[in-house]
Amino acid sequence: MSLRAHSVLLFVGLALITHTACNGHEKPAPPPPTSASPETAPPTERVVGPLSQADAQALSTMNDRLGEYIDLHIKLERSLPKLPKDATPQQIDKNQRAFEALVRNARATAKPGDIFTPEARPVIKRLLATVFGGADGQQLKASIMDENSAGITISVNGRYPDKVPLSSVPPQVLQTLPKLTEDMEYRFIGDRLILLDTHAHVVADFIDDALPK
Amino acid sequence: MPSLHLLRAGFLLLAGLVATDCLDIATLGRAATADAQPSAEAVVALPNKEGSLKFGVLGDFGTGASSQYQLADQMAKLYARFKYQIVVLVGDNLYGSERPQDFQKKFEIPYKPLLDAGVKFYACLGNHDAREQRYYKLFNMNGKLYYTFDPKPEVRFFILESTYPVPEQIQWVEQELKASSNDWKIVVFHHPLYSSGERHGSDLRLREVLEPLFLKYNVSVVLNGHDHFYERVKPQKGIQYFVVGSGGQLRAGNIDRQSGLTARGFDTDLAFMAAEITGDQMYFNAIARTGQTVDSGFLTRRKITR
Repeated sequence: MSLRAHSVLLFVGLALITHTACNGHEKPAPPPPTSASPETAPPTERVVGPLSQADAQALSTMNDRLGEYIDLHIKLERSLPKLPKDATPQQIDKNQRAFEALVRNARATAKPGDIFTPEARPVIKRLLATVFGGADGQQLKASIMDENSAGITISVNGRYPDKVPLSSVPPQVLQTLPKLTEDMEYRFIGDRLILLDTHAHVVADFIDDALPK
Repeated sequence: MPSLHLLRAGFLLLAGLVATDCLDIATLGRAATADAQPSAEAVVALPNKEGSLKFGVLGDFGTGASSQYQLADQMAKLYARFKYQIVVLVGDNLYGSERPQDFQKKFEIPYKPLLDAGVKFYACLGNHDAREQRYYKLFNMNGKLYYTFDPKPEVRFFILESTYPVPEQIQWVEQELKASSNDWKIVVFHHPLYSSGERHGSDLRLREVLEPLFLKYNVSVVLNGHDHFYERVKPQKGIQYFVVGSGGQLRAGNIDRQSGLTARGFDTDLAFMAAEITGDQMYFNAIARTGQTVDSGFLTRRKITR
């Protein structure tokens, strides 16, 4: 199964969650396992909840946007010469910058929220709050802040700053967030969650204040 | 520094101290502890035997700082008398920017003597590495995030990508381990299953997935990084784990002395590991930026019948 197919399956599973809505006064019951993340799934494949139906729908919409982005990514990538498997750093850089130019041109009107939709943002933040509110939350946060630069200006559809190190994203966070294909990665810059196009080195979207204080 | 012959003589004298277990570890001198510092005690020599597999292990190194270069100098000095054929990189190969000049400053220049001598580097990706590194010729990843290679017919390295351990990769490594008939199966990836690091420590979720495969398919040695120190973990269920994240970005004093995992730890300076496989034994030395050997010993490969 391709990564993308796996991702789509996961989100179909998320969208199918029929968790009883909570009213804010009662502690929500644990969510049923999704079809793509059964309790028997290996730990690296479990998804943290709880997700209401509305949350699942919000993430599903985000996934649609992500799918559109990846379609564009694939289409643009096909127009470039293939990077050899024994490339020089110069070839890697040239290829990356050519790809970056194509993506930025094709998404010239991109803005925050195009992928991390307004509906998905609070869900993502809640999911992250669940992770960082756990027993090892402080350690996870310290791990993310290791090699992480604050006060960096970034923009949607802009190049990921060359001098900014790629942050750690602990497995607990990756397991919690919607799965990505190999072309995309989550990273943090300061407390911003970045959706990074790894090949083009372009910030596809980001969420401010994603890390709980 | 004593010659290899003298060191070998020291080893022969002390070989009788070796304990018997699924995986034997021989260490010399005092009991190994996390706070043990390099001592003047004799070390287990690398046999430097003709026809053996000789290799280095380096991790978390690509800072471009002078300390990285100083450790690289020690690697070159060792090469002068111990011709290792390969270096295995356990990830975080380039910190910060990854422009062409960074590949030079953080990799090609410090390790130029080894590269010029024909030493091949095999990389895995760490959490700070861009995936495009897999196309970099000198990392020998052949465009793949996870792969295997056999430097000798009896030895196979399995290189994994542990930042995103997707199900396809887990299935792949199980198939590869199962199909491998190599005597030595050595698995390399960034995030340690066992580590006494106060910053990161053991990755329990990854352990839950990978350890059963390692046990089932006869893995003898696992090489990791991520925590920025050197640690030889006490054998876990017969498998020897090393954390060699000490190549350039030291996290001084980060070994948790209470973890109970450490056979030997070194977190006061940078270090790399040199190893040699001859027959059923793997000898290892951890060598610090000063040139001092801070850990040494040998182990015997696992032999299980299925």
